Amino acid sequence: MGLITNLRSSISRAASTLFADAEPKRIGIYGPPNAGKTTLANRIVRDWTEHGDAVGPESHIPHETRRARRKENVEIERDGKTVTIDVVDTPGVTTKVDYTEFLEHDMEEDDAVRRSREATEGVAEAMHWLREDVDGVIYVLDATQDPFTQVNTMLIGIIESQDLPVLILANKIDLEDASVQRIRNAFPQHETIPLSALEGDNMDEVYDKIAEYFG
Amino acid sequence: MPHECTDCGRAFDDGSKEMLSGCPDCGGNTFQFRPDGDGQANEAATPPEPPEPEGNSTVARTVGSAATVVRDLVGADDSPEYPTQESTPTAASSRDGPPETSGSSSDSSHIAAESAAHEDAAQASARSEVVSPEDLPETAPSQTRESTAAETADQQSREDRPDLEELREQLNEQFESIRVVAPGQYELNLMELYDREEYIIALQEDGKYTIQVPERWSE
Repeated sequence: MGLITNLRSSISRAASTLFADAEPKRIGIYGPPNAGKTTLANRIVRDWTEHGDAVGPESHIPHETRRARRKENVEIERDGKTVTIDVVDTPGVTTKVDYTEFLEHDMEEDDAVRRSREATEGVAEAMHWLREDVDGVIYVLDATQDPFTQVNTMLIGIIESQDLPVLILANKIDLEDASVQRIRNAFPQHETIPLSALEGDNMDEVYDKIAEYFG
Repeated sequence: MPHECTDCGRAFDDGSKEMLSGCPDCGGNTFQFRPDGDGQANEAATPPEPPEPEGNSTVARTVGSAATVVRDLVGADDSPEYPTQESTPTAASSRDGPPETSGSSSDSSHIAAESAAHEDAAQASARSEVVSPEDLPETAPSQTRESTAAETADQQSREDRPDLEELREQLNEQFESIRVVAPGQYELNLMELYDREEYIIALQEDGKYTIQVPERWSE
């Protein structure tokens, strides 16, 4: 069963690669909670779609995004060419979810417990999407935080094992204690692009790289 | 030839019953296991078992395919430490097997499945230990060498892990994808979540959860 399953999944993966040109690549925005994934998704969508609807609400409270949200057919123009992607904003991936963390943000206990449960479901969903449904990954890290975590190492490892193209973004460079170099050092095998999704700093380079990696 | 008499060098097929009552040629009762040069022989020696302990997740999936979409896994045990997210009750019971099924050693198929995780120990044991002549039955028993080895493995695993709490801890680490520490407090095994085909779409307060199974399971 396992063998057949693996075989099937490699065939479907091979097939999806074959027909990749026919449909837009689905790019998952992954990373730990509170790295700025939704802020980035919203900025990409606002910059490149007519209506500019937000992908989801942004918040400083971790686990604001608890369901993967998708925005289809985002056309990014670079050097006269158009790259079409589906942007998937995913819940922050973590190994522990604890409702008491939310109590610090003036949340009622019932709400905090529910948020915690939904966040856990969200992580399960994000991991499932990573296995089945994405063609490339934008990995967002908070440049003010230590990138050397179990979650980051494991996720990058999974992404590499799947041979998915991955772009690492060092977000929040508008903050004083951000260190892009620390992220470069953590994942030297990948290119790291600094940005502030909130302020819109260095977005041109981000779009250049998106077109280059996922076009 | 996987087995060879150490006295006269006569070769025996894998699973051969002849050697159980001593070498027919010279009466010798020590045999050496000689793999055919690669993993092929090892695999042939244990046909009913997956080759790696990791195979257990496949077993879980297979068993899971026959199970229902919504599963109640906490009913029997209110302890928050209980592995509430085991794939299926059946899979859980077979994993909990070694300490709980000590009385059912006659069920050789069950033991064969259990021994999957202890294949190496069983093989090592089968190759190194020699049965003394008085222990040998008059006629060759119907049991195969594999099941004997599996019993040894079963026994070993019982000796190695006498503490159920410890075992549960170990199983949690290996198989559980989401551990409910307390309502609102969860620990996630990302690798396990990533590896499973079915996906958890809703957790409930009482530890029940809803999963979505791949479409092909219903075919």
